[in-house]
Amino acid sequence: MRSSINRPPTPDANEEPEKEPTLQEIINIKLIESGEKEKLMELLRERLIECGWRDEMKAICRAYARKKGRNNVTVDDLIHVVTPKGRASVPDSVKAELLQRIRSFLTSAAI
Amino acid sequence: MAASNDGNSSPRSQLASRCFEDLLDSIIVDVASECHRIARLGLDRNLEEEEEELRLSVQARVADPSSSSEANGKNIVDIFGQTHPAIADEIFECMNCGRPIVAGRFAPHLEKCMGKGRKARKVTRSSTIARTRHSRGSPVSVYAPYSNATNTNRAPNGTTGGAGEEYADYTYGEP
Repeated sequence: MRSSINRPPTPDANEEPEKEPTLQEIINIKLIESGEKEKLMELLRERLIECGWRDEMKAICRAYARKKGRNNVTVDDLIHVVTPKGRASVPDSVKAELLQRIRSFLTSAAI
Repeated sequence: MAASNDGNSSPRSQLASRCFEDLLDSIIVDVASECHRIARLGLDRNLEEEEEELRLSVQARVADPSSSSEANGKNIVDIFGQTHPAIADEIFECMNCGRPIVAGRFAPHLEKCMGKGRKARKVTRSSTIARTRHSRGSPVSVYAPYSNATNTNRAPNGTTGGAGEEYADYTYGEP
């Protein structure tokens, strides 16, 4: 049979052999499957709204949009504008609370 | 990063931090997306104009430190962006005498209509008795001769008797 002798090998979608799912990915999957990720998102959202973080970020976006021209802004622009300031201005208490919950989830998921 | 099982190990903290940042990034994307929408739809213009209006109206009322949503003076914008005239101008019927009354003048009207004013006290005896029974219960004698006198004065004028009709008296008393 010479059917496939000369045929070049079918190119793989990923050149390398597929990696093991990283620990991060495993955790992510577990978070989502258990529904905990949704709860954590809701909690974080609520806390950030309460402490005014969201309003601050919206004001930053508004100022940026005004400066750059309303129709010239893209979502990417805004993300790049907000991310550094946003990450830096999360209140410590909020961050601690979330980290605490994540850690206890990790413990309960035996990771 | 070893998936170690010891308690408070830093790999676990690092994992937790990574998770937290993940969540935070999602929320940032949410906020950015919403602000993008507001910017492109021009909704922030409306917000900005309202804010400016508020600021201007506060400045215009120079000596007024209170916030612009209170009912002080004219041209106030409340939290819904509506303005209200200083004197409420809706017209409705008084439930006591049935006349059309401007809402902003209702309180003074009620005072006259229901008996605080001097002239409105000239009501008929029966209604006075009924009223004083409710409120104070004694000075019927004070009112009775007074109202009798006025009734006899008024009867020849053609008003239909006094029995329970304070309205007739009232029309004379009304300025």
